[in-house]
Amino acid sequence: MNGSINGSVNAPAKRTTGRALSSSVALRIAWREFEAAPAKFIFVIVSVAIGVAALTGVRGFTESFQKTLLGQARTIMAADVSARMFRQPSAKEIAGLNALQGVERTQVTEMVSMASTPSDPIPLLVSLKAVDPSQYPFYGAYKLRPAGTLREELSPERVLVGEDLLIRLHAQIGDSLKLGNSTFRIAGVIEREPDRMNSSMGIGPRVLITRQGLAESGLLQPGSRAGERFLMRLQPGASDIKGLHAQVEKVLPEAQVTDFREANPALTRGLDRASSMLSLICLVAMVLGAIGVAMSMRAHLEQRMDILATMKSIGARSSDILRIYLLQTLLLGLAGGLVGVVAGFGVEWTIPLLAAKLLPIEPSLRLPVRAGLAGLGTGMLTTLLFCLPPLLDIRRIKPNLVLRRQVETQPEFTLAERWQRRRMQWIATAVILIALAGIAAGLTNSLTIAAWFTAALVALLLFITLLARTLLRMLRTALARTRLSLPSAVRHGLSNLYRPGNQSTAVLTALGAGIMLILTVFLMQNAVLRDLQETLGKGLPNIFLIDIATDELDGVASLIAKKPGVHGAMERLPVVAGRLNEVNGTSGDALKQERVPRHLLQSVSLTWSDTLPAGAKVHAGAWWKPGDEGKVAVSEGLARRMHVGVGSTMLFTVQEQRIPVTVSALYANDGQHVFGRSEFILSQRSLAHFPVVWYGAVHLDTAQIPQMQRALFAAYPTVTVINIADLLDTVAGVVHQVTIIVRFLAAFSILSGLVILASSVASTRFRRIREVVVLKTLGARRARVAAVFGVEFTVLGLLAGCVGVIFANLLTFILLHRLDVTFHLQWPAAAAAAAGTALLAVITGWLVSIRILGQRPLEVLREE
Amino acid sequence: MIEVRGLKKSIHNGTNLVEILRGIDLTIPGGQFAAIMGPSGSGKSTLLGLLAGLDAPTEGEVILDGSPISRMNEDELAEIRGRKLGFVFQSYQLIPMLTALENVLLPFELSGNSHHSGDGRARATELLDSVGLGDRLHHYPVQLSGGEQQRVALARAFMLEPPIVLADEPTGNLDSHNGEHVLDLLLQRHRESRATLVMVTHDPLISARAERRILLRDGLVIEDTLAQEPIAAAEAHL
Repeated sequence: MNGSINGSVNAPAKRTTGRALSSSVALRIAWREFEAAPAKFIFVIVSVAIGVAALTGVRGFTESFQKTLLGQARTIMAADVSARMFRQPSAKEIAGLNALQGVERTQVTEMVSMASTPSDPIPLLVSLKAVDPSQYPFYGAYKLRPAGTLREELSPERVLVGEDLLIRLHAQIGDSLKLGNSTFRIAGVIEREPDRMNSSMGIGPRVLITRQGLAESGLLQPGSRAGERFLMRLQPGASDIKGLHAQVEKVLPEAQVTDFREANPALTRGLDRASSMLSLICLVAMVLGAIGVAMSMRAHLEQRMDILATMKSIGARSSDILRIYLLQTLLLGLAGGLVGVVAGFGVEWTIPLLAAKLLPIEPSLRLPVRAGLAGLGTGMLTTLLFCLPPLLDIRRIKPNLVLRRQVETQPEFTLAERWQRRRMQWIATAVILIALAGIAAGLTNSLTIAAWFTAALVALLLFITLLARTLLRMLRTALARTRLSLPSAVRHGLSNLYRPGNQSTAVLTALGAGIMLILTVFLMQNAVLRDLQETLGKGLPNIFLIDIATDELDGVASLIAKKPGVHGAMERLPVVAGRLNEVNGTSGDALKQERVPRHLLQSVSLTWSDTLPAGAKVHAGAWWKPGDEGKVAVSEGLARRMHVGVGSTMLFTVQEQRIPVTVSALYANDGQHVFGRSEFILSQRSLAHFPVVWYGAVHLDTAQIPQMQRALFAAYPTVTVINIADLLDTVAGVVHQVTIIVRFLAAFSILSGLVILASSVASTRFRRIREVVVLKTLGARRARVAAVFGVEFTVLGLLAGCVGVIFANLLTFILLHRLDVTFHLQWPAAAAAAAGTALLAVITGWLVSIRILGQRPLEVLREE
Repeated sequence: MIEVRGLKKSIHNGTNLVEILRGIDLTIPGGQFAAIMGPSGSGKSTLLGLLAGLDAPTEGEVILDGSPISRMNEDELAEIRGRKLGFVFQSYQLIPMLTALENVLLPFELSGNSHHSGDGRARATELLDSVGLGDRLHHYPVQLSGGEQQRVALARAFMLEPPIVLADEPTGNLDSHNGEHVLDLLLQRHRESRATLVMVTHDPLISARAERRILLRDGLVIEDTLAQEPIAAAEAHL
């Protein structure tokens, strides 16, 4: 200590003009701060990492999962788009089909024919399906016995048949089968036909033949009644199913065009909802991460107030300090983002490996650089955005803090003054919202969803803040009246909520909003999955019975009802063959010019039902009353194509009798019941007196089906049975996978959210340090301090839980309403959420205070 | 030179408006060492904060070397503080994550220079060496004693050779031996640089070494004496 400042010291460094702290110095200070106490930044990094991990993992996984599921949905039709017509296409139509860009195409011909074996000369009516095995099916695979593929087993000389053909013809694999002029060898049995539900429900057992084989058999003559199906697959990378659908309708105006989304509407709708659910999970993960980051950064900067004031007092401008902390924020965002991306990929890669049996998803082994960069970028951007408000507050730190820690309360400001004082904050908020909407749009690929999400989030945050404030005020009033009668630890704990600068409202809002989002994910997941299970639940028909005569109907129904393993009564569909003659007064050639599919003008299957059939839902108008006459309900898709609506008039003819009807309702089918393929349902009195054939549908335990088929064949040999049990199993499998994945990702997001919320509570630790020191200096035992904090955290947690529960239910109600799913209030979940939040707050609060409580007061102060 | 005209400062404390300074008029010529004294709550630290532009007065004006600073915005004030003022605090206020050398370099870097600049580094090293900390350049504040920390703060205050140095009880947290040493260094530097030195202190021994003593009570200057005058009257008020 014998140094002295003397004249030998260098000449003072002079200030340069246009001064500003250089970025390298700012970066060094930012890094030093991080280096000095990395533990303090853990919460920020963890929040960002969890948000980014959820984004990367959930999004990446969702994409590959959706791809797999959509692939499975496509197997139900074996194609992306199918066009069915009842005549050979003209040269012009073929040219039109050839002109479609980026589309692969294969043709399937379906017709009814007679088949016989040398051992049983009585021929059997069979449902013939001619395909090109080198291309068909585009999606899905046949299951054959003996095991093999269509390419291997099907050749111009060989056919594949349904089990029922072997039963009926007493034949075996390897036997000969005569079809037209040719004799084929039965190469195997079809155990599963992926597009069975979308094939023509022809009469008789299935016989699968090559197109060359069909041509050589001479069965297909000009004028033969055959159904032609053109199956189309978009080349990889192309995704415009809608566009292709419209183009095909244009090229083949007479054809019935469907795309894979219509093949099983219930499944497609379920997948859509699951996708919405997964998008919601992504967005929630992002917002939760952002809340965590904002809370942690605010706490961090508050801790730095003295240092910031010192820097200002020795000449630092707000912009210099802002530069330091912006760089620090970016570093934290980068660190958290990198950890998150690695963790996200870990989730994406590990889960399919762990759950390989449940999820048929191949983990992508290539490094998804783009997804990684997107996750990293989103993480950094979100971090930066949500740190903006606390960073901007740096400008308001007064340098005189270095001289005195005076607690100066703010005078009341007018609205204009408030705007003036917090102008930058408001601008920052606007920037955050716009950027948030942008991120949301990127995540959901939809501007509308993003706009709705952001608007809803803002509205909810405003409401939550308002409610939080109101609750705190009410509590304060109650406290003022009762405080002297309360035990002192409770009184002290409650008073802590109003500790100067405690920001109870901010913590309450963050915690409440977090709980709201977490509970919303939970409630939505439950509702959507329950709905999905109900829609595709047990009891759906898995066998269809074709061509039942009216006098056989009751006999067939009672035979089936007596079989073991039957669920519910047989659904019945009467079919009357007719023609469409007029739509809204337009008939004949004029009608052909309209967008009416021409096949309807030649032949149309009409049916009746005076009540809404199972699986149908009215989308416009209303069903008529039993006994009404002259009414028709039209399937929604067809109505749109024909430009008819409720009140339109139509004229059908059946056996030359005119049946004028008025459109009473438009309906949509789930495609899984016997009415699933009906296009026109008339009032019973309009049709019941015509000759009718019946279709039936029922659910039987899969194991009982072969036995039932044999019994039915013995009693009613002309009734054809179509077994789609295997297909329903595929659908059930998809539902099962969706359920698992939504549950898993929701759980992941909920868990991440809880960690982030815990970090929000932990961020209040700094404020407690001095208080602990004072209390301990005054003689408070650790138990007393813990009790005071316990009361404070419990009340904070309970209030936040209540706020979160209220708004979660509100949000879920709105979202479910939009998804057309029924909302059920779940009291146990609500109570558990409120209590759980209190528990989370108390445990986290104690955990982060343990070290402070255990140390000597001055030790704590020195370290902090 | 520091000029103070009709300076008032009030703060809101709860529902009360507390008047801390009730109208101060002062002129401190360049190069003078003035000690501001007064009992707790008399407004000493507030006055020092206003002189440094660390806070805005409710009324009145502070003029530093001809520049009125009371209506300046934060960035202009930061510029003034960097260019004209050095500050020594009672509790040192070093930046904990920077080393001693980096703390001294900070004002230099805040003025837009790089720490790689040889000039700045050499001056900071020499300043630290001159306060006896040549072997503590790369120590963090937490590794230094109170006296050492205050000497780092002293070096920092003089890094840019400011025309005005403000000190808020610079020896208040130190034992007498360390306090005296720090004061010696501060006064020596003041004499050499001819900077104006304004120091808030409770210590009559320190104020006795000042050229001028300004006594505050209840937000008003009740006595303003030059060193050649007897100090007994001033001490009687403490």
